[in-house]
Amino acid sequence: MAFKALSKSEKAYIQASLQAQSPLRGDGRSLHQFRAVTLQTGVVPIANGSAHLNLGRSSDESMGGTEILAAAKLEVEDISALGNSGGSNSGGRIVCSVSCSPAAYSYLSATALDDLQHDYSTILNDVLSHASLRPPNLGIIPGRKAWLLSLDLMVLSDAGNIYDALFMAARAALWDTRVPRTRAVEYRPDNKKGGGGKGGDEMDVDTEPQSGLDTRRAKAPAADFELEDSWDDGVVLGGRDAWPVSVTLNLFPGVHFLDATTQEEAATPLRLILIFSYPAGSPAALHGMHLLGTGDTGLAQIESLVKDGGKYALQMYTSLNANLKDEELRRTEKARLRFSAAR
Amino acid sequence: MAQGGFDRRRVHGPNESFQPIFDDDYEERGALYKGWQLGQTRRKRRAEDIRPIFLNTGFIKQANGSAYIETERTKIACAVYGPRQSKSSAYHEAGRLSVEVKFAPFSSLVRRAPIRDAEDRSVANLVQQAIAPSVRLDLLPKSVIDIFITVIECDGIESCVAAATVATSTSLAKAGIEMFGLVVSCAGAVVGDDVWLDPTEEETQLASGMLLCACMPALGTTTSVRQTGRVFPAKAFQSLQLCQERCVEIHHIVAQALHEDENESNS
Repeated sequence: MAFKALSKSEKAYIQASLQAQSPLRGDGRSLHQFRAVTLQTGVVPIANGSAHLNLGRSSDESMGGTEILAAAKLEVEDISALGNSGGSNSGGRIVCSVSCSPAAYSYLSATALDDLQHDYSTILNDVLSHASLRPPNLGIIPGRKAWLLSLDLMVLSDAGNIYDALFMAARAALWDTRVPRTRAVEYRPDNKKGGGGKGGDEMDVDTEPQSGLDTRRAKAPAADFELEDSWDDGVVLGGRDAWPVSVTLNLFPGVHFLDATTQEEAATPLRLILIFSYPAGSPAALHGMHLLGTGDTGLAQIESLVKDGGKYALQMYTSLNANLKDEELRRTEKARLRFSAAR
Repeated sequence: MAQGGFDRRRVHGPNESFQPIFDDDYEERGALYKGWQLGQTRRKRRAEDIRPIFLNTGFIKQANGSAYIETERTKIACAVYGPRQSKSSAYHEAGRLSVEVKFAPFSSLVRRAPIRDAEDRSVANLVQQAIAPSVRLDLLPKSVIDIFITVIECDGIESCVAAATVATSTSLAKAGIEMFGLVVSCAGAVVGDDVWLDPTEEETQLASGMLLCACMPALGTTTSVRQTGRVFPAKAFQSLQLCQERCVEIHHIVAQALHEDENESNS
């Protein structure tokens, strides 16, 4: 646990004010109120999808808050070696890694920072790389080639509630990711007599099957692929509604609060991280649940916390979605303006 | 010349040789769920059954406390040293637990490199999370308790973490370190509509979601909950309850093992 050292009296002060009859927080928020979130997508031009998230920057300041930069990059991976293990899926996988800037954690040694990065990466990987969330359109040639999506998140500064911020940034970057359109090609010697007009050794691009009875296509798998020319960057990842959001409940006996600052985190004995997903047309599902800290709790309490957490997560999900749609609109608007200006 | 008569060009094997004997059970591995389809029941066990547990203490003599746990193909040895003085100069109000997990290279079907790999740390974190709330670390300022867990064989990573947690808590009790209660842990896999407790590696692969729950049955509190994969909240809850019920039984096994150990050392 990487917490800045906090003196006993500071801790007691924060704990007492949070557990008071009318709870009081350092920045005047209510217990279940989030700090302001600013989100921008498409910030890294050479990535396939990216997002920049700031949680908790106050409007009159130009800095502060938890700052995360997330970028998704696609690369082609040869999956024929591990083909037989995943026979049913079309391939493709997601690998997440979190790197924490030493500037944000100046009080940590290099090894402690490594461990911290590893812990964050593990939690993200457990959720986002799981088979239940794998997008359907990451395959290129079934059983042979697929996209490997590397999602890299950088923590530029940490002002508390890092898990929620990480998942929000990851969701935004994945939402923004465009998969390039591909088309399978194969080499087939031209045996047909009628094809005299064409050269014998040309590439045969498989567009539509000429005949419904042509079963060769299924038997002879495509050899390679080429990128299609298209007016946009590609198609969005399949099932992007399902990318989860996380909500961290900071627990005190009898009371819980959201979106803790660094000091509040240091004074909290126990945290419950809940990761919810809202896929289109199906009820909310839990994609992760982690209890962190040195306190203990009861099962009945966890049940009520999961219920509350579901409510908060849904709010977060709807506002984040609205934000992402706005952002998408803003970028297409801007592109259109730029285009009309150039003309 | 002692080696004078030694013919190095010949094979100097024993005069007799025998066919190696293979464990029948071993060949079965990976084939138990062949042709299994979603909706079918669990094979070899009922859904809410766990594998039989063998647990004994004092496995590693030079440690302050140690335990060995075996649940069919999961075999884990755990040793506890300490509490000792912290090596770092920084002052700590409460004691610390340093958990180190090592997988033997031959512990799983795919060989694990003998060097420290990524999974070690996440398993160690989970064990530490489960155990830490039970230990009276506030009584041990400036000190460290070293916990070394060696996974000799691993069948299902979640069940392995659960077994490691049980072994660690038993070792801590054996070492005479003050605790609020014994921590026991149980894993569950959500397969279709069922919850299979204590899943093996194969069953883990069939599951849509996994749960791991650690609790102190004596106090009725939960110390660690971890869920991965996709589980609906109501289902998650039901599985946690099942895990907790099973934990009460595991608690008896741990108590029994500690009791036997006590009897042995007295006689």
